[in-house]
Amino acid sequence: MSLIDSVMAGLALVGNWEAFLSLAIGVVIGVVGGAIPGISATMAVALALPFTFPMQPINGILLLLGVYKGGIFGGSIPAILIKTPGTPASSATILDGHPMAERGEAGRALGMALWASCTADFVSNLALIFFAGFLASFALSFGPPEFFALILFSLTIIAGVSGESLLRGALSALLGLLLATIGLDLVYGTNRFTFGDPNLMGGLNFIAVLIGLFAIPEVINMVWHPTGHMGKVQKLGSKWVTFAEYKRCFRSIIRGSFIGVFLGSIPGIGAAPAAFLSYSEARRKSPNKANFGKGEIEGVAASEAGNNGVAGATLIPLLALGVPGDVITAIIIGAFMVHGLQPGPMMFVLNVDIIYGLFIGLILSSGILFVVGGLAIRGFRPVADIPKRILMPMVLVLCIYGVFAVNNNIFDVGVMFVMGWVGFVMSRYHIPAAPFLIAFILGPLLEDNFRQSMLMSGGSPDILLRGPITWFFWTLTVIAIVAITRGTMRAAQSEG
Amino acid sequence: MKLRHLGAFCAMGLGLAAAPALAEYPERPINMIIPYGAGGATDISARTIAEPLGTAVGGTLVMSNITGAGGATGSVAVQNAKPDGYTMLFARVGSHSVNPAMKATLPYTLDDYRFVTVYEINPVACAVRPDSGIESMEDLVSLTESEGTSYSSSGVGSMLHLAAVFVLDEFGVKDPLEKATHIPQKGGGAAATAVLNGTATFLCTNTSALASFVANGQLKPLMVTTDEPVPGFDAPSASSLGKSDLTQLVGWTGIAGPDDLPDDVAAKWGEWMAEAAGNEKFVEQMTARGSVIEVMSPEEANEFIETQYETFRALVDKLGMRIEG
Repeated sequence: MSLIDSVMAGLALVGNWEAFLSLAIGVVIGVVGGAIPGISATMAVALALPFTFPMQPINGILLLLGVYKGGIFGGSIPAILIKTPGTPASSATILDGHPMAERGEAGRALGMALWASCTADFVSNLALIFFAGFLASFALSFGPPEFFALILFSLTIIAGVSGESLLRGALSALLGLLLATIGLDLVYGTNRFTFGDPNLMGGLNFIAVLIGLFAIPEVINMVWHPTGHMGKVQKLGSKWVTFAEYKRCFRSIIRGSFIGVFLGSIPGIGAAPAAFLSYSEARRKSPNKANFGKGEIEGVAASEAGNNGVAGATLIPLLALGVPGDVITAIIIGAFMVHGLQPGPMMFVLNVDIIYGLFIGLILSSGILFVVGGLAIRGFRPVADIPKRILMPMVLVLCIYGVFAVNNNIFDVGVMFVMGWVGFVMSRYHIPAAPFLIAFILGPLLEDNFRQSMLMSGGSPDILLRGPITWFFWTLTVIAIVAITRGTMRAAQSEG
Repeated sequence: MKLRHLGAFCAMGLGLAAAPALAEYPERPINMIIPYGAGGATDISARTIAEPLGTAVGGTLVMSNITGAGGATGSVAVQNAKPDGYTMLFARVGSHSVNPAMKATLPYTLDDYRFVTVYEINPVACAVRPDSGIESMEDLVSLTESEGTSYSSSGVGSMLHLAAVFVLDEFGVKDPLEKATHIPQKGGGAAATAVLNGTATFLCTNTSALASFVANGQLKPLMVTTDEPVPGFDAPSASSLGKSDLTQLVGWTGIAGPDDLPDDVAAKWGEWMAEAAGNEKFVEQMTARGSVIEVMSPEEANEFIETQYETFRALVDKLGMRIEG
């Protein structure tokens, strides 16, 4: 079958209003789900899954993909407006998005988030269509030692999101690493820091920690200082993002998209690290470095490009290898199985119409996301104008509901409140929350891959330097550490 | 006038008749807990049976995933629930026979549950990469004996973990814990990936989880743990290799409640399951995914799980695999 035939077969499958409608409904569900704190993109996809069982396979899968993409963008709306990431992937967006909202430029931040998301989404989809085979074989060369080197390098992001004090950032990261050790030990299966409580055996719920760390301190702050926010202009603002700004950030957006594609095509990392890595790279390259973390629009662009760049690329291991790249694609692979489809190399031969149908649908999804996202920004506009004394109780209710719903477990709500107080104390002492989060995500990956490498080699550390991929990341790590050390020393000299 | 009297009389009679019917189980929605994540084998199985089961029950089933700790978090939620039949669990081989056999610190034991059915059986297959040079179980065993091999699993205490050891032990590998290295992963998808990218030599898992990799030629099956060959798997059955004990090694999904679940509730579930699993569409969907539909009565289910648990427990004790800490 020639390429033209394949494309036509795909078109025949998705060239109808049902497919288009499923995709659009998916994007709407995703954006709304993502925008409600606590209902992450993951949960929105999980909730939508059973409803796709009776649908046509292609329509059901397109709907889920729409939810996924919409959810990743939707998460940026509360991240910018109320400093609460709607989905873990949008945590990095808070860093510059929320300060912009506090300046009365929420509209501008949201606009940039949408433009960056759609651009990255499009790049990611193209990468999937044209380089799936290449990226999949590359992903397969990532064993535990390669992972370990990559994660080690990614930990240097912490320096980029620590704000003024690297020491405070490191303290925050240490706390994150420590809490991430709770739960079952990967290699021995023994309990760590569970204190005999079955609820702790699974580790701390990620969403509960996330919401606790970002949203609850805002609520506590409000109770602590009921009038503290008076005089601040938290408004959507009349300013909208301009094309000139988009052009200025374009390099960061494209860089972020590629980081997203790269990390997305390797199974097991997910969107949040990609967003943080893209953010810290944009900061490193930017002439306005000092403005990052204080409301720099390029920071929003980079974060959103990083996380949406992952959305198309996670389908590369799914379609080309049949393995899920992250939690969300693990759910979507279930939809394939329900319909008797077996993702993998043979699917490109046996179900070529479905593959090309998906490709066409994905390309469309970037456009649909742009339209739906634009409407959603308008729809959520009133949120920016709600007085804080009314908004905060609503946020609290949504957070409790959302965190409970993740796992139907009241214990998680307790975790959220405890983490809320931790976050509150941290913010009082100017300890940034982002390094905590990065360490909490990457810590277990670092440990697991290190221990898997050691099991593979029988305890010999040589394996950590096998092959060019590990050398590449070790070199990057060394360069990053040297650069951070020099930067810190220079800052100390200019002060003293 | 007379007619109205008659009407009132009838209404009263209806009311009287309705009273016992109201108290009959189930009078409100039943919470069905899935202890594994959305999109996984248990989740799909549970949601597929939910439809015919809902019809058989004639009430609402509320499906909720409570995940974590290899199924333990959700299982504990049911262990602690009121035994009124309104909180039931989709139990799985991992959470209810492998885990209790391997983990001393598990917050529950088999005795904390009363099984009302086992409705699905999944055979297990062992597979390697096609370019590994391993063509048969014999090759795998001799490689394990000479150079040592490694296997991946979805975590310590998972069925995949125990399955690999069980298979090697049955094939006469002395001290399989020493000769073969266990490389645990987080989740079944990651376990398959580990074999695909060469991190581990082989894995033994449910045929449903392997089907797509085998169909795509990415993995080569060496054996299936059944009496008869499994369609789609070009590999000998355990019985044909003379290892019929391995037929104990199968995955399953069942439904359980807390241990003091009343008899009449258990009996009700027996009836409902017989009806639901007779649904043609359900059977067709599940069979297409490589499962064998076999509805066990509450008694059969308890005996089946008990036997499997004892087999696993004996192996675990023999090899000293029990996790104490």
